[in-house]
Amino acid sequence: MLPIVSMTLFLPLLGALLVMASRNASARVVHGIGIATSALTLAGALWIWLRGVQPGAFSQVEQVDWMPTIGAAYRVGVDGISLPLVLLTAVLFLLTFIFSAKVKDRPHAYVILMLMLETASIGAFASLDALLFYVFFEVSLVSMYFMIAGWGYEDRQRAALMFFIYTLLGSLPLLLAILGLYLGSDPHTFDMRVWIAHPPLTGLAAMLALVAMLFTFAVKTPVFPFHTWLPVAHVQAPAAGSVILAGVMLKFGTYGLVRFALEMTPAAFRDAAVVILVFGVFSALYGAFAALAQTDLKRLIAYTSVNHMGYVIVGVAVAALATSPAIRAIALDGAVLQMVSHGLVTGALFFLVGMLQDRAHTREMDSFGGLLKYVPLLGWSFVLAAFASLGLPGLAHFPAEFQIFLATLRVEPLALIVILGIVVTAGLYLRAIGKVFFGAPREQWATMPDLNLREVLVLAPLLALTIAVGVAPSWVLDTVHRTTAALRF
Amino acid sequence: MTGMSQMSHDLSYLIPEVIVLIAGGGTLALEMLRLPRAALAFAIVGLLLAACLTLPLLGVDTSVFGGTFRIDTLSVWAKLILLPSTVLSLLLVRAELAGSDREGAVYSLLCFTTFGALVLAGGGDAMFLVLGVLLSSLGAFALVAYPRNDAATEAAMKFFVFASVTGSVMIFGLTYWFGATGSTLLADLAHLDKAPLAAAVGLVAVITGLGYKASLAPFHFWAPDAYEGAPIAVAAYLSVVPKIGAIFALAQVVRDLPSTTGWPLVVAFVAVLTMSWGYLAALVQNNVVRLLAYSSIAQAGYFLLGIVAVGESPLAQSSLVVFAAAYAAMNLGAFAIVQGTGRTLDAFSGMARTTPVAGIAMTVFLISLVGIPPLAGFVGKFLLFGAAIDAHFTWLTVVAILNSVLSLAVYLRIIVPMFRSGGDEGEGNVIPPRGNAPLIIAVWVIALMVTVGLGFAGQLILATVARA
Repeated sequence: MLPIVSMTLFLPLLGALLVMASRNASARVVHGIGIATSALTLAGALWIWLRGVQPGAFSQVEQVDWMPTIGAAYRVGVDGISLPLVLLTAVLFLLTFIFSAKVKDRPHAYVILMLMLETASIGAFASLDALLFYVFFEVSLVSMYFMIAGWGYEDRQRAALMFFIYTLLGSLPLLLAILGLYLGSDPHTFDMRVWIAHPPLTGLAAMLALVAMLFTFAVKTPVFPFHTWLPVAHVQAPAAGSVILAGVMLKFGTYGLVRFALEMTPAAFRDAAVVILVFGVFSALYGAFAALAQTDLKRLIAYTSVNHMGYVIVGVAVAALATSPAIRAIALDGAVLQMVSHGLVTGALFFLVGMLQDRAHTREMDSFGGLLKYVPLLGWSFVLAAFASLGLPGLAHFPAEFQIFLATLRVEPLALIVILGIVVTAGLYLRAIGKVFFGAPREQWATMPDLNLREVLVLAPLLALTIAVGVAPSWVLDTVHRTTAALRF
Repeated sequence: MTGMSQMSHDLSYLIPEVIVLIAGGGTLALEMLRLPRAALAFAIVGLLLAACLTLPLLGVDTSVFGGTFRIDTLSVWAKLILLPSTVLSLLLVRAELAGSDREGAVYSLLCFTTFGALVLAGGGDAMFLVLGVLLSSLGAFALVAYPRNDAATEAAMKFFVFASVTGSVMIFGLTYWFGATGSTLLADLAHLDKAPLAAAVGLVAVITGLGYKASLAPFHFWAPDAYEGAPIAVAAYLSVVPKIGAIFALAQVVRDLPSTTGWPLVVAFVAVLTMSWGYLAALVQNNVVRLLAYSSIAQAGYFLLGIVAVGESPLAQSSLVVFAAAYAAMNLGAFAIVQGTGRTLDAFSGMARTTPVAGIAMTVFLISLVGIPPLAGFVGKFLLFGAAIDAHFTWLTVVAILNSVLSLAVYLRIIVPMFRSGGDEGEGNVIPPRGNAPLIIAVWVIALMVTVGLGFAGQLILATVARA
């Protein structure tokens, strides 16, 4: 059998080496390498998808010794929770490369960093070894730092610094937890499958490890009050960086919450689930209300990410509280699908804001008006993505949030107050659409060009997938459910 | 066994050390003949030969001369790390001091100082500790003073006064241990649990003496001044070779020291002080050499996480060895780049744009110093953290982790300007003349390969430590 997971994982790195080797190549060639590599990576991810997953275990596992003396190995594989995220990552990166083909400022370094980021992102989702996971987790952080610092907007240095220090501070507790789990396992190993099958820590040690992990993933997700880096980083990051940051890297937090916190310290997680639930509810509401107060479109979308990720937290916490396996599976199905939907929808929204900024050099809602008249394609794409983001039935977020709320209703009805968030996001998106795309057209934007072919190529797949997930979520959910229905803890 | 055959048996284990001495002596002779290039070649060949002949000793665990000198994991790996590090330092010295007066003497002094560090790393007897500190210090004073300008002379004087005082304190304290145990063998320190006062006095004294050598706070004050006054190549050398020797010596001491003396807690406090002080001070430096000096102080504090776990965790030795190798590579690499770029932070402005490969290499060294995977520094620190947690020093690991975040702020002070597009740097911006010296490039390329390679191939070291 071909080691297709590893091939997919390291293809981008290979592309990065190729770009490094061709130092005199023109920007066109370099971007061509980026697009071709990520297209092949997507093909690899689709291949993994077609091979599918087995219930109750990790599939397509590939393993090579790394540091056998301390029980660390290169172990990768997928299950129903990680596989959709791998596919999402491959899709978003390909579209990001197509979108970025216009970047003329140091294209070599840009493409190399993005390809490194792609390997790191897929690696984080596919790792079955905690040490390996941590390596990919941190490499993604470094690449994103240079991405923001090198290609961001006006205040990029400060934003990049804040992002780097904040998330490093956030990720180091995870290292502590990993060491704790490692020293607790007997014989010592970093094999995540062993940790999941036989949680190595109990009692106070497990709770401390859980708290450390929650801190890490709360910063990454981000959960109120650990979210303060997000608006700053998003506003200053280049559009492509924002897409990857929101579409892929925020999922490290929620994925880690399920994979590490829930699966490796299940008992402690159950004990703390109510607290986690409260954080999730509060974070979702806070994100919605904070978004309501924004006039900068990018900040607005950044805060709705806090809101959407809050629903994921709610879903995972409800899954831990649920006594019936069926309800637990529904909650987790919803949480995982929500991660995928958020990647698609928020990815599209950040692309759209980037396109708007390229044209108008501003993101202030108030400086626009009636844009639908001048740029109908861009306008209607934004309207569709915004409707998806506010949870309209038939679009990607609806089936995910519906399942989360359904499980919440069965387990902890009080927490349903979180639905208020949907009302608020509906309001704020309608306000944004009204201000930017409807109303009296402004003369100054009369010459604004509509979407070009490259931009259509970027948006069309995302919007099509948004509808596909919304109308017929089962093609994703079947894979997710195969794993979540078989979880034992 | 007769005395004679015992002697030859012992000496057979000491072939590497003997060769280092011969290399130092031969280099000195060639310097007297005014053949600096031959002296350099002789030193390099000698040190590399010694390193090669150390390889068969991997996995050996014995001692010679009645237990006074140990041939164990630490001392063998000290040779395998410090000898190549000295060779790299020799190349840096050549790049910086070629053609200067008495260039060959520097090569010779480096060999003798390294010999001192090796004596420290294998010391099994209190007298060997004293001998090692003296041997590695005497040469170091002369190395620092070599430029013969005011800064260097002042630096060497501070260094010397500091060394004299801390050295005397150490000898004074060691007499208490000798008095309490009736022996200078470190292996007999196990009897100290019956003499708590003597144990405490000796412990403080040894930490003072070795702490000066390893630049642990609060015995580190000499280091920034000495590094700044000395040639950069010598600073690079001092920040790696004698420091690792002293750290390993501390590991040899505490190996047999009963934990009832409270040494783990004392070492842990020194670690907290060293890490925090080093990075906080580094945060306000504008001279890159001083910044790296404070960084190397802080890094010494990380080593102590492995020391506190000696005897408690099987990870202790591997973590010390892996981090020593990682530290040697990344620190020598960073100093090599500084040597090629300049001593001030301004010199680094836009450096990654004018010389991109060197810029990326420097970024890798600094990020590895922070401890970010998948680089060597991460593997080392990760093992150190594991060892400390295993020895129930989780709080110390938390402090170390917080300091790692602080360290990121420190090293970003170099990284951020490197990638800045210098608006004011026009055609007139002069690239330092030695920036492209092939020797310097060779050094950082080798260091880069180790820094990146060790991140993936840590098993190479771990396997030998586990066997021992």
